[in-house]
Amino acid sequence: MGLFFLVLLCLYRGVFGPGVLNRVAAISAIGTKTLVILLIMGYIYQRVDMFVDISMVYALLNFIGTITVAKYLEMSGEI
Amino acid sequence: MNIMQALSIPFLLGGFFFFLAATIGLLRFPDFYTRLHATGKGDTLAVLLSLIGLSVYEGFSFTAVKILFIAVFMFLAQPTSTHAISRAAMRCGLKPWVKK
Amino acid sequence: MTRLTDDIIIRAVARIMIPFIQLYALYVIMHGHHSPGGGFQGGVILGASFILYLITHGLEEARARMSELKAGIFSASGLLIYSGIGLLCLILGSNFLNYGSLSLILKVIPAQARSLGILGVEIGVGITVMAVMFSIFFDISTGGIIPEDKEIKEENG
Repeated sequence: MGLFFLVLLCLYRGVFGPGVLNRVAAISAIGTKTLVILLIMGYIYQRVDMFVDISMVYALLNFIGTITVAKYLEMSGEI
Repeated sequence: MNIMQALSIPFLLGGFFFFLAATIGLLRFPDFYTRLHATGKGDTLAVLLSLIGLSVYEGFSFTAVKILFIAVFMFLAQPTSTHAISRAAMRCGLKPWVKK
Repeated sequence: MTRLTDDIIIRAVARIMIPFIQLYALYVIMHGHHSPGGGFQGGVILGASFILYLITHGLEEARARMSELKAGIFSASGLLIYSGIGLLCLILGSNFLNYGSLSLILKVIPAQARSLGILGVEIGVGITVMAVMFSIFFDISTGGIIPEDKEIKEENG
């Protein structure tokens, strides 16, 4: 419940950050918080086995996406 | 509430406290590199503590081992992505903030 | 100016991660009937592991491991497995993709034959999805121009 409020705070930096690099860092942080929120929701609904698989897939996709965007920004040469 | 569930409460509270600290740092720091410090280190520790707390809550079953696998993966992958972003910023020529 | 493919930290970490990502993708394909997953999701994770290899190790090394020819053969063979099982059920007497008639070949009860039939179809779909994802990413990143074609064009004109 409190984590959801933290996600909204992080989204503020994602929208207003000057330049694209601040937004990339904010999206990575939002993804990490979403993972923990998914697991806690699994405990509330008493179906933990399903939500563990989903959160592992999301961790993988967050990692691969951040590295891809970083490589593209480095090659295009501007902020 | 047996002993395993009572033992997992300090881990979860510590994880929530570190998430709070990392987010406040992300909002209030003056420069990009300092913000990257806050979210890279604070978020990794917070996720590690939260996942250990959740796996202790479950007890000795198969699901707890899977949650520990996610924790180990996050421990390896998140600093690497932080390093990739900061390397991209360095190549583009973003200067660090100097206190005047 | 060194690029991301020359950085040694990201290369080392990706080299450790990729086998475990592929193992997890196989787990997701196999457990399609019991937990969220199945053919398409496992195929996407397998394709994502190849894309990670292409990003961190450069274009030439990724092409040495899986060229466009191999990706094409993989996608076609995955589709062959999927429609082959369907046609096999058609030959053995029932409708298309009615796995109950597989029990005539495999000598098991029809309920078990249905479970094995679905498993085979999921594997075919997973292989096709992986090959198509890798092929699309490879075509976008090179723009369709292979270095051997450029050399031949420079020799001719």
